[in-house]
Amino acid sequence: MQLDGFMLPPGLILILGAFILPQVEGRVRHALLLALPLLTLLMVWLIPHGSHLTLGLMEYELEPLRSSAEGRLFATVFAVAAFAGGWYALNKATLLELSAAFFYAGSAIGVTFAGDLITLFIYWELMALGSTLVLWANGKQNPRAYPASMRYLLVHLCGGVVLMAGIAGHVYATGSIAFSSMTMTDGLAKWLILAGFLVNVGAPPLSAWIADAYPEASPSGMVFLSAFTTKTAVFVLIVGFPGTEILIYIGLYMVFYGIVYGLLENNLRRLMAYSIVSQVGFMVTAVGIGTELALNGAAAHAFAHIIYKALLLMSAGSVLLMTGKRHCTDLGGLFKHMPITAIAGITGALAISAFPFTSGFVTKSLETAAAYQFAATASDPMLLVWVWFLLTAASAGSFLYVGLKFPWFVFFNKDAGLRPTDPAPHMQYAMWFFAFLCIALGVFPEALYAILPYQNDLLAQPKSYQQYTASHLLSQFQLLLFAGLAFFALLPLLKQTLTISLDVDWIYRRLFKVLGQEFTFKVGDLGGKTEAKIHGRIKRLIAHMHGPSGPRIHWPSGFMVLWVAVLLVGALGLYYLR
Amino acid sequence: MSASGNQRSRPSPSRWSKRRTRWLIVAVLLALAIVPEFFVTHYAHFESLGIELDARFGFYAWYSFFACGAMIAIAKLLGIFLKRRDSYYDE
Amino acid sequence: MSMHLPALQVIIPLLLAAVIFLFNNARIAYIVSVAASWLCLAIAIQLLLLVNDGSVIEYAFGGWEPPWGIAYNVDQLNAFVLVIVSGIAAIMFPFSWRSIQAEIPASLHVLFYTALLLCLAGLLGMTITGDAFNFFVLLEISSLATYTLISLGKDRRSLSAAFQYLIMGTIGGTFILLGVGLLYTLTGTLNMADLAERIGPLQASRTLQAAFAFLVVGIGLKLAMFPLHLWLPGAYATAPSVVSAFLAATATKVAVYALLRFMFGVFGADFAYGEMHVELMLVSLALVSVLFASLIALLQRGVKRMLAYSSLAQIGYMLLGIGLANVSGLTATLLHLFNHALMKGVLFLALAMVFYRTGGSSMRHMSGLGRQMPWTMAAFVVGGLSLIGVPLTVGFISKWYLILASIERGWWPVTAVILVASLIAVMYIWRVVEVAYFKERPADLPTVSEAPLSLLLPTWTLVAANIYFGINASVTTGIAQNVAQTLLGGVQ
Repeated sequence: MQLDGFMLPPGLILILGAFILPQVEGRVRHALLLALPLLTLLMVWLIPHGSHLTLGLMEYELEPLRSSAEGRLFATVFAVAAFAGGWYALNKATLLELSAAFFYAGSAIGVTFAGDLITLFIYWELMALGSTLVLWANGKQNPRAYPASMRYLLVHLCGGVVLMAGIAGHVYATGSIAFSSMTMTDGLAKWLILAGFLVNVGAPPLSAWIADAYPEASPSGMVFLSAFTTKTAVFVLIVGFPGTEILIYIGLYMVFYGIVYGLLENNLRRLMAYSIVSQVGFMVTAVGIGTELALNGAAAHAFAHIIYKALLLMSAGSVLLMTGKRHCTDLGGLFKHMPITAIAGITGALAISAFPFTSGFVTKSLETAAAYQFAATASDPMLLVWVWFLLTAASAGSFLYVGLKFPWFVFFNKDAGLRPTDPAPHMQYAMWFFAFLCIALGVFPEALYAILPYQNDLLAQPKSYQQYTASHLLSQFQLLLFAGLAFFALLPLLKQTLTISLDVDWIYRRLFKVLGQEFTFKVGDLGGKTEAKIHGRIKRLIAHMHGPSGPRIHWPSGFMVLWVAVLLVGALGLYYLR
Repeated sequence: MSASGNQRSRPSPSRWSKRRTRWLIVAVLLALAIVPEFFVTHYAHFESLGIELDARFGFYAWYSFFACGAMIAIAKLLGIFLKRRDSYYDE
Repeated sequence: MSMHLPALQVIIPLLLAAVIFLFNNARIAYIVSVAASWLCLAIAIQLLLLVNDGSVIEYAFGGWEPPWGIAYNVDQLNAFVLVIVSGIAAIMFPFSWRSIQAEIPASLHVLFYTALLLCLAGLLGMTITGDAFNFFVLLEISSLATYTLISLGKDRRSLSAAFQYLIMGTIGGTFILLGVGLLYTLTGTLNMADLAERIGPLQASRTLQAAFAFLVVGIGLKLAMFPLHLWLPGAYATAPSVVSAFLAATATKVAVYALLRFMFGVFGADFAYGEMHVELMLVSLALVSVLFASLIALLQRGVKRMLAYSSLAQIGYMLLGIGLANVSGLTATLLHLFNHALMKGVLFLALAMVFYRTGGSSMRHMSGLGRQMPWTMAAFVVGGLSLIGVPLTVGFISKWYLILASIERGWWPVTAVILVASLIAVMYIWRVVEVAYFKERPADLPTVSEAPLSLLLPTWTLVAANIYFGINASVTTGIAQNVAQTLLGGVQ
């Protein structure tokens, strides 16, 4: 079936759906929640590769419907994530959250079909808006969600501004708005675009927004949030900046940043947020390596990661929902009471640790394989050696700080006396579905490999990505088991405390505030009366200048005339002196 | 304070035997993971560069253990500087 | 008939203003005004079509050839501005009837329409005239009418705002008159085309430089250039809603046009940039104005005042485009004349509808309106998106050219300022959206219903224009680029 005559960007289905959802109720809404992502998935696959739609804007041609292998892969998993997320959220989430999540998912899919930078930018900003609303929708349940959403929005709007400047500069330099690899171009504009992308990927120094904002969302909200923003950013890096060396360093930093902060973290879902950064770091590193195998690895890992991370978050979210507890220190021994949630969490934990026969195993190893595949002929072979050893260590670390820590502290360890049950059936189904996918992808990786962007490499060198060799299986088992040994041997060191860890967000959450207080403090030194006087005066001045009410909202005319005189005399004087 | 800490500070006799069995199982598992090492040959990923560390006996086992130990140590160390009460930003 | 179009453009509203005053019936005044505005738009479009090939229509009043008589010259630049002004009038005049019922005492309605038509006549005249003194006269007509219009507001503070505007406007007018007078003593002519010719050899003259300074400062006052902007927020915030809308969308645009006309049509680009380095002053003042006004807008609790400050920032963009002194920059300025009229028009009209239903336009009055007045608030959102510069709205088009122009110049800090200001615009528009859509309506405020169709229709016409010209920008960009190239002709 070809849809030559009638083709619309598939993302629009979900975006329009976001506006239809509030108009319907009950069963119809539930049906739409499940049907629209599937319809989107269908559309994604019915659209043949190539650009199908052009819109004129100024002297440029927008391409809002360019299907590519990379785009289709990401759009597929985005649609699947929207489907399972909707299933999980079904009637637990607020209407605003559901609409916002669909809007958000649709925009993310829009990015994957963007053939030009302007379309990309539009969807990019819509995503920021949609995700902010997802966070915001939890404002009633969690008073911290609103300020977190505003910080989140601020970071992303700043990123958007940098991106826009880069796009404008790029278009000015090249005359083209096409979204394609920018590795050949040069100049400031390219780096601004990269910086804009990196903000969304969670790169340093702004990695903190993920752990700051996501955990404040509702249980289902965080499932949605974890899927789209960072992975869309990985997608644009794959298309725009393959083989950019600096990404290797950035990616490695993210990998270990996530592990270290994850080890210190007590809040379950913040732990998951740190692990997003760490996992996305693997992908960014792979994009930095930039070979076909590496890009395939990044894409496949993103695909698998969305699913197992969503599964982990569904599990952690269910625990939060049923117990009201979010900290490792308050939980323990839940396996008996929430067996399905526990199974889901353990499956996700095994997948994220790249346990053999899970999706993590068959995708992460593409990335490590990419590190050694062409090492001998690479321009800087030692760098790739380092990458391989560090990524291997990080794989073990993944098991340590998520794979073991999450199930151990929540489902085993000492019984904390909580007696919850498994969550509502639809939430269980969603978890079963994703748990099934985690295993299915691990056992039948060919299905995923078949839709990876670079098929030449896969077909020509089957050896390079052979997963299930005795050597590979054995080394992976050893890696995981001895990481486990380290975990239990060093368990006293991993004692969880009721703390948070400082990050760069300290600057905009604390430093600015402290600076402000510092100033007031000094004024306070002058004594109560003077302070009150000064405060009153400042207040009056502000009210006088811009106040909403008060009898005199205008400046005195004489003041205005003074400015006229200043300007005129200034201009005349300047001309006279010249 | 922490659940794991409590468990460790007040071990009852029955817990002792439980823990012994647990460690026994772990030891057996680890041994099982090492034994095939005699029969499987790992190939060095960077042979052409003269690096054969990763093909040595039991590389993945000890590398994993020490890498994890190092990561925990680093995290502990950074934790001294980075950890704050979780109400830190709300004050 | 068609050869008299330039004269009719001004004479129709001027005469009809007198006619409705004599009839002294509000409804007749309304109908006649609407008819006049539509007629003016038709004439303006006809004129634009006539000169769109780059030709110039010269019209000598009463057959008196310049330099003795008054000449009207129509070229692509002022035909474009004529379309903007009369187009906005054609949309807002029909809107006014319902709106003023709520805001202006019935006894003053005839006066309102008389002043409105006079204001329109003055603005159109300032745009079309080719005579420097005639420009001053028409400026005074439009200004006097404006003072009247502002003072008609029910808000008592509107009187003092109007009075203050009167003082400042008069000073501005005087400066312009002084500038024109200096030019006359220097060259002996008031016709702009003649002036341009005779100024050529006098580049080094101190008198000429003084005239330039007076004119730039005088016009700067009229267009609320920082720091001469202080009259504007008060005037816009206290005037009747529809007056704020009309003034925000037209008056400052004509002032920017006047600056362009004097800079390029009389003094010449070489003199303005090469000799006087006006770009330094414009860029520095514009940057301050863009940032400062955006930040102040963020602090406002009255939405009208917020929009007034945002207008100041937008004027900053226009001046920035002139100051960048390249074709892209001027294109951005010209586009922004048109685009800002569209976006601010929508925002102020939406606000007028809120006022019509709720009796106020503060943040509080707007809380929870998203559900109660969905079409009104949707219009506000589109206008807001356009103001921010979201792609597929007109706001994006002009901002895009402005950014390109700053990059072309290699002035990255300017690019940064433009983008940061857009960010601030996101924040102040967001504040309104948040209040309207996500806050419950306060219990003590009455539930309201959607605005009547007679108000929604004009507003949504503008909304449609915001989106249409945001997607199909070829007409406006084509004209703007043409004009920019003509204006800069020699400099590039």
